[in-house]
Amino acid sequence: MNVSRREVLVGGSALAAMSVVKPAFAEEYPSRPIELVVPWGPGGGADQLARKIAQLGEPEIGKPMPVVNIPGGTGATGMAKILANPADGQTAAIYIADAHALLAGKSPRWTMEDITPVAVLIQAPSFIFVAQDSPHKTWDDFAKAAKERPGALKVATLGFGSVDDFTLSFLGSKGVKVNQVPFSKPSERYVSILGGHADALYEQAGDVGSFLNGKQMRPLLVFGSERFAAFPDVPCSKEAGFNIALPQFRSIIVRGGTPPERVKKLSDALQKVAATDDYKAFLKEQFAKDDSFIASDGAGAFVAKQLDDMKAAIKQAS
Amino acid sequence: MIEIFAQLGDGFIACLHPTTMLMLLLGIVVGLLVGVLPGLTLVMGVVLFLPFTYKMQVTDAIVLLSAMYVSGTYGGAFTSILFRIPGEPIHVPLLWDGYAMARNGQPARALGWTLVAALVGGLLSAVAMVMLTKSVASFALRFSSPEYFAILVFGLTSVIALGSGSLANAVIGLALGLLIASVGTDPIYGAARFTFDMPIFADGIEFLVVMVGAYGVGEVLSRLERGFSSKPLATISSTKTELPSLAEVGQVKAMLLRSTVVGHIIGIIPGAGATVAAFVAYGLESQFGRRRAQMGSGVVEGIVAPQSAATASVGGALIPLLALGIPGSGATAVILGAFMLHGIQPGPQIMMTSSAMVYTIFASIFIGIAMMCVLGYFAIRPLVKILDFPEAIVSAFVMLFCFVGALAIRSNVTDLWLMIGFGALGYLFERYKFPIAPLVLGVILGPLAEESFMNSMISFSNDWTVFFTRPIAGTVMALAILTLSLPIIGLIRNRRKPSGPPSAPQLSSVGGAERVLTPEA
Repeated sequence: MNVSRREVLVGGSALAAMSVVKPAFAEEYPSRPIELVVPWGPGGGADQLARKIAQLGEPEIGKPMPVVNIPGGTGATGMAKILANPADGQTAAIYIADAHALLAGKSPRWTMEDITPVAVLIQAPSFIFVAQDSPHKTWDDFAKAAKERPGALKVATLGFGSVDDFTLSFLGSKGVKVNQVPFSKPSERYVSILGGHADALYEQAGDVGSFLNGKQMRPLLVFGSERFAAFPDVPCSKEAGFNIALPQFRSIIVRGGTPPERVKKLSDALQKVAATDDYKAFLKEQFAKDDSFIASDGAGAFVAKQLDDMKAAIKQAS
Repeated sequence: MIEIFAQLGDGFIACLHPTTMLMLLLGIVVGLLVGVLPGLTLVMGVVLFLPFTYKMQVTDAIVLLSAMYVSGTYGGAFTSILFRIPGEPIHVPLLWDGYAMARNGQPARALGWTLVAALVGGLLSAVAMVMLTKSVASFALRFSSPEYFAILVFGLTSVIALGSGSLANAVIGLALGLLIASVGTDPIYGAARFTFDMPIFADGIEFLVVMVGAYGVGEVLSRLERGFSSKPLATISSTKTELPSLAEVGQVKAMLLRSTVVGHIIGIIPGAGATVAAFVAYGLESQFGRRRAQMGSGVVEGIVAPQSAATASVGGALIPLLALGIPGSGATAVILGAFMLHGIQPGPQIMMTSSAMVYTIFASIFIGIAMMCVLGYFAIRPLVKILDFPEAIVSAFVMLFCFVGALAIRSNVTDLWLMIGFGALGYLFERYKFPIAPLVLGVILGPLAEESFMNSMISFSNDWTVFFTRPIAGTVMALAILTLSLPIIGLIRNRRKPSGPPSAPQLSSVGGAERVLTPEA
């Protein structure tokens, strides 16, 4: 094959032209399916959210969002995976309050700079629940019993160093001292109060929805500055004299340093998802706030404030 | 009662729907495969299949997953008996007697017995499940951390049975296993233990890596040392499937029933699944069974007890799942996830609101068990034939599956290095006649025992007497102590009369253990 110098030159300039064009191609975002990492096992709240978003988000984003479960280390294993990928927005992760709480602890494995929140998708207040037949009819009964015998009442939680721990330690510093019993498996947590092995449970309503509907559990207190619409008779923590609200939130993040226009594009798509009736029904099922959604312009500040609130609660408790 | 039968009948009819039948068959086949492949555990298999069920009807999805669950407790018996590689932790007890029986030239007979055990255990347990779901569900609520801990202690004491060659060696192995299990972030307070600042250790050492390494890789290394010299099986035995006769089954019916009941009850208890059931049933048999002295040398009891308990645990585990929304095992936790993804939260109300679905699931368990045994019957012959392949080739495939399995856990290459390390350890153990089983038992049950112990301590303000004063925990603890003290008493008695010959059963039990641990020695 004879290749003249001219041809080589033409070819070379064509190559050069292509390499100039290439960045423009890269502007096409998403260029391939967006991998959605769930740092928790299948079936849980984070996983259910991811599957919902993947299903509703595909038409808005124009590319599928395959869900990948990477459980372990309170979300740390999955976070390691996203931090190992390039900051191009092609890998996103579900980021929830329980993982965020690690940042308030000692030697966290990532920092706020490593992540860019794209949107907050769910905010659900936490509650204190008791079994239906519990002797504690109201929060006042419970608080009184806890004050009479400090540390005698058992409250089932996720574990030490979690949001549950921060909140209950905060209550302890205000005189309502309970014995926290950690159960890492949700099922054991619920059994503990149904079987009378613990006196109360710290949880979000969406996770125990069937027990609430089945009249096996009832809420005593909701954490926040206002009552929750579904339980108008249940007092909020502000009324009870505790100014603390560390809600469960579930958000989508990408790696820190992802181009802002990509974050915006993803956030806009999620905003459309959040406006669908399907998604609104999902929020109802999860006992989440109707106005849960926060777009990328506010998500970063929200996540940062959550960390500040957690740190403040720890400081108050210690 | 009549009402239950009528509803179950409707369930059977609903099961005959083509797509449901297809899902059932698919679940059984995949479950068998998952069980056969070492490293790919039952729970992992169900997890891997969960995403495929999102678009299905909820009944079909649950039928598929529970069919996988049922047959997954059976498939691993093949590799355990034929290659001494437990496809599942469930089948670790099966390999002691099953592999010994296969090496005694009766692999087909061993597999025939597992089939009978799975069939009888599974069906009886399913009947109990249908009858008891409503009433027994509340029993599960009485179990709290001290009860879990007591049951796990009993599971750990079965170590005595595993190392009847030398009690000291068994306890050393167990302690080493517990030490390995303690690597990683402490589950309660989050303290880093033996992590050496390496992220992989911070997440702990997966028991699967230990299990696949010590058994799979270790076995291949031992074979390599011998130069793959074992005779083709055809020369030492027939590959005919041998189902035990009715009379033979009749002889062990009491033991079969006992193991099924144990498996069923352990299945009901939240947190303990088929693995614990298999270990406890084997432990019971080796301590209190009629032929306890021969356990480990390839006796029928050692095969039937763990297998029937493992399959029976499925029926038990589905009770709290359906009636309370509380999973009794790892696999049922995933099935619970499948329910929730379809917007259904199992619980007392499900029996009222979706009883048609519940009874379809019940019916599918019956059909599934029957289907599994038919498939198992026809699969036994080709699978035994695999042993006729040159050992080197089979070993190469075993290694391949070990690597795939270890990598599949969390896609971390460091796990492969760990697995090779544990393979070397397993080889050394075998070489120096140390039992591997206690090590593996410690790694599997250690973390569970730790968490329930810590929870009990926190719940009861560091009062350790709760393990003995609570009725259920106390009973189980007493049983565990009895198990522990029996061999020691036997030892003392033998010392008292040094002139006399060692008693016959003890001798054979030692010989049996040796044969299991070092099959070709």
